[in-house]
Amino acid sequence: MPVLHGNRAFLVILFTVLAALPLVANRYLLFVANLVMLYIILALGLNLLVGFAGQLAFANAAMYGIGAYGAGLLQVKVGLPYWIAAPGGALLAMGIGTLLALPALRLSGVYLALATLAFAQATQWVLLHWQAVTFGAGGFPVPQPDFGVLHLSPDHGVYYVTWIVTVGLLVLAWRVMRSRIGRAFVAMRDSEVAAQALGIDVTLYKAMAFAISGFYAGAAGALYCSVLAFVAPESFDLFQMILQKAMIVVGGLGSLVGSVLGAALLVSLLQVIREFKATQEIVFGALLLGFVLFQPRGLVDLLKRRLRGWEEPLHGP
Amino acid sequence: MSILAVQGVSVSFGGVRALSDVSMDVAAGEIVGVIGPNGAGKTTLLNVVCGLNTPDQGTVTLDGTPITGRAPSAIARLGLGRTFQTSRLFPGMSVLENIMTGLHRRSRAGLLAAVARTRAMRAEESQMRARAIEALDFVGMAGFAARPGHALSFGQQRVVEIARMLISEPKVVLLDEPAVGLSPARVAELDTLLRRIRDEKGVTLVMIEHVVRLVMEVSERVVVLNSGQKIAEGRPETIKRDPAVIEAYLGSQGDAGRAAS
Repeated sequence: MPVLHGNRAFLVILFTVLAALPLVANRYLLFVANLVMLYIILALGLNLLVGFAGQLAFANAAMYGIGAYGAGLLQVKVGLPYWIAAPGGALLAMGIGTLLALPALRLSGVYLALATLAFAQATQWVLLHWQAVTFGAGGFPVPQPDFGVLHLSPDHGVYYVTWIVTVGLLVLAWRVMRSRIGRAFVAMRDSEVAAQALGIDVTLYKAMAFAISGFYAGAAGALYCSVLAFVAPESFDLFQMILQKAMIVVGGLGSLVGSVLGAALLVSLLQVIREFKATQEIVFGALLLGFVLFQPRGLVDLLKRRLRGWEEPLHGP
Repeated sequence: MSILAVQGVSVSFGGVRALSDVSMDVAAGEIVGVIGPNGAGKTTLLNVVCGLNTPDQGTVTLDGTPITGRAPSAIARLGLGRTFQTSRLFPGMSVLENIMTGLHRRSRAGLLAAVARTRAMRAEESQMRARAIEALDFVGMAGFAARPGHALSFGQQRVVEIARMLISEPKVVLLDEPAVGLSPARVAELDTLLRRIRDEKGVTLVMIEHVVRLVMEVSERVVVLNSGQKIAEGRPETIKRDPAVIEAYLGSQGDAGRAAS
């Protein structure tokens, strides 16, 4: 086995530390680490769609919400067990995400951004006002799954489920990008006309990118509802979208390790400034703007230039 | 038996007639040049053939299959390759990955195979890699495999683009002004490359070109468009002396030989 260096070493160390954390950390630290992993999943899914496949969509926060509400309501309203409801929530977001590819077949750039943003706002409205199903603005509690058989507390159990799903989805994203499907995504981003001229069916690959991205956001949502044991619409608003966007821009568009890096850094930063709620939006807005203007290729680009071994399956835009 | 047949194609944009009743036959293994002054309809003709424009009238047939009005990617899968006037190399991929993307329609691995990294998927990937290196070798760019697409010079990008399109084994290749922006030395290299492509790969070439000299040297047959109509067709020597062509290029006096030099 080759010696690990660069980005692979970073990932191995990060996930080893995350795996060992429950042995030493208090509840709060464990919660933050859990959030870091949720946002790694969200950033990976968003980056696949925006950074790799080049579809400027703004509905990831809504997909996250659909996953969380799907998983939560399937337990609370339908009475399904956690192990069926959680994948159900992820698949629901994947299905709706795939439908979002329809406007993307006709719209691109800013127009696609506006259409998906409108969809996200409509989702938010439904969560707030369809009280008979969604419990409205107040949200609803979700029971935590039982890990008694494994002699684990619910907190630790949920944490390890998140860890396994995160690692699994990271490997999955890595493998997709190292295949002809990943190359078709990047080809579509770099030049749709040239991609078509090579026989790449852009309709199919746009749908696939939206489906995968929806599945990631939905999976994160399904995990979120059991991490927090509570679901409310305000968690899936525009700020949530800005937060996720900032993660992939700060980490590096078109970079999987960048998604991990961006998620870890911004969740930590969010905890630091949690005390000053009013400053959050300003800080993240400024961070997003600063990176777009001065370091559009993200932190990964800096690391690539300074450290050996930071190569990725495919380069950023 | 023609491998590409354009029959009575007319295209209008609003009130402007870009092409009227243009027909053209290309035989397998031929190199055909399409020339004409600015606005003659060369690019429109190319866009109709590759599916970016749908003609108001007329049909296009590729190797016996009607392709009029089909999606560009579907036409590409039937065996029509094209290159672009401006570079359309994928800047975010390495040169090797660019070439491997050219093999997209020649490879099969789906999402599940990619995620599971099945034995068949890995075998296909390494086979694609080997073929891509071979293709880079053919155009003399083997040393550039690992470079990102955006780091190449304009001329190099053009050559890699040609290799990327060739590896998909098209039956007919449309080249949209391949010499544009190239130095005379590079144009000479392109001249040699195009002949080798035809001779060694057996690919039929249709070249739309502004640099008349390249067309006259490489093509076996030249089609001349002017104001959306075909005004002449024939061997390069004949075309050079055709009075209608001379008039289209230079007004009524002078000769096309000057335009060609």
